[in-house]
Amino acid sequence: MVNTLAPEPTGRTEHGARPAVPGTGGRTRRRRRQSVVAYLFLAPTLLFFAVFLVLPLGFALLLSMSRWTGFDLGGIDPVGPDNFTALFAAGSTFLTPILTNTLLFALGTVALALAGSLLVATCIERLRFQGLWRTLYFLPIVTTVVAVGNVWKYMYEPGGLVNGVLNGLGAGSVAFLADPGTALPSVVVVQAWASLGSAILVLTAGLKAVPESYYEAAALDGAGPVTVFFRITLPLLRPSLLFVCITQFLTGLQSFALIIVMTKGGPGDATDVAALEMYRQAFSYGDWGTASAAAFVLFLVVLAVTLTQLWIFRRKGEDV
Amino acid sequence: MTRRRFPWLPYLVVVAGAVLTVVPFLDMVMTSFKGPGEAGTLPYRFLPKAFDLSNYRAAIDQLDLPVLFRNSVVATAVITGSVLLTSSLAGYALAKLRFPGRDFVFRLVLATMMFPPFLFFIPRFLILVHWPLAGGNDLLGRGGAGLTVSIVALAVPFLVNGFGIFLMRQFMVAIPDEVLEAARIDGAGEFAVWWRIVVPQTKPVVVTLGLLTFVDAWNEYIWALLVSTANPDVMTLPVGIQLLQDHVDPARTMPVVMAGLVLSVLPVLLLFLLLQKHYIRGVMLSGLK
Repeated sequence: MVNTLAPEPTGRTEHGARPAVPGTGGRTRRRRRQSVVAYLFLAPTLLFFAVFLVLPLGFALLLSMSRWTGFDLGGIDPVGPDNFTALFAAGSTFLTPILTNTLLFALGTVALALAGSLLVATCIERLRFQGLWRTLYFLPIVTTVVAVGNVWKYMYEPGGLVNGVLNGLGAGSVAFLADPGTALPSVVVVQAWASLGSAILVLTAGLKAVPESYYEAAALDGAGPVTVFFRITLPLLRPSLLFVCITQFLTGLQSFALIIVMTKGGPGDATDVAALEMYRQAFSYGDWGTASAAAFVLFLVVLAVTLTQLWIFRRKGEDV
Repeated sequence: MTRRRFPWLPYLVVVAGAVLTVVPFLDMVMTSFKGPGEAGTLPYRFLPKAFDLSNYRAAIDQLDLPVLFRNSVVATAVITGSVLLTSSLAGYALAKLRFPGRDFVFRLVLATMMFPPFLFFIPRFLILVHWPLAGGNDLLGRGGAGLTVSIVALAVPFLVNGFGIFLMRQFMVAIPDEVLEAARIDGAGEFAVWWRIVVPQTKPVVVTLGLLTFVDAWNEYIWALLVSTANPDVMTLPVGIQLLQDHVDPARTMPVVMAGLVLSVLPVLLLFLLLQKHYIRGVMLSGLK
């Protein structure tokens, strides 16, 4: 071993801090022992990653290029890229309406949640009992999607709360979830409603980081509230806004539990989204190949959208 | 700030928004007390005519609530316990131990957070179904239902959480090395250092991560739906209640569904209200959800 032949650094003997292990051999041994211990500590995690992350990923890739009905593992029939081409073939519903719905759903929830949380978060900053307000807005987040979906589904019904209010105001009833024209926007509202609380929290954290002196300087210069908002608050809030934007967009592109609960993709395919389609192909029709291919396409869309968002904000000079 | 022209405007916005947030919950509670034929009829009435408790009785009877409750509790407990343990162990190794491959493992942990969960639904389900020598399967994973026969199947995909490891590691990096070194010189092994010194110092982040994990696990729907499709015995509360809503005439049973929902939401809501300071800080810390 080369290390043991190396001369002892003088500083060490002077301090006398090291115990009586001659040379650096003890150190290497300790290093080695620490490595073993470290991997012992990591063993459950790495085992999990291997079995439930790496293996599934390979399996999904294999399935996406096979035809398989889901029974005998020996019956996996490799077909190459057929599943992918079928998704985009003429007459396939995958591009329209399914992927279109997915993007509209995500865009709609991001726009609503962003606008709503920005409005509420800046307003809460000027009120007392801030904690109470934030807690109230947070309630939907700790609630199961089954509860949120069912309560809103019921509220949208002809005899439900929303139509009750509309009728009370003298307006006619709207068949929110039963009409293909209003079904998707109606679910979008619910998704945005449910995610408002966490967006408010992130923006609040961003608002608190804006130095008070900026506002004082603006006040001295006689800037009005609108100018202050657009010239100071909004630019300084950009990292938080980007964070909300990206995470909400990701959630929006992937979500389907709310849709399963509220509309099951209907009426017709008005609210059918990619993750729901993937789920149905696999677990209702037993077409695991198509389902896995759809999953990968959705994954690529998610990746592309996220990278684009990062790129746009980077170009504007933000460190994210 | 000098903006006193409409001092009531922020109040109006925040209160209106808060009403919009809370009213659906109140509607859920009110509906759960409505008598037969009272819900879903025109004109809409917010308050029930009389507070009828029979819906709760019906929900408990129709749902086999004790079993659903047990399944939800077991799955949530297993997930929370496992995430806390594995995150703490792995976080310690990544923050405080030196070993070859550390950077690689850390990057792997970060990468796991980027993959969307839906990508894994299908293959994970298939792996559990075809798990060798479990639930009647042979060595090649054929013939039986695999691990889907057990409650643990509900928890399996959530046992390790990349974000949890990341959170723990970030917190543990701040613990001074001298403290750990002193314990090691006193003859403590790494396990003792972790358990006696690191774990007690990470209590705040343990509470935060525990709460986040608990709420997510309790509310999990899609995976629980898949597993209980294969084996109805392991159905959880959200799945059971949704099933009730799927099968029966909505106008008549809506109050029963709402009663079931109130019962399923209540434990988490109470926990949240009790520990909301920690929870909200946790969400701010994670920036997630």
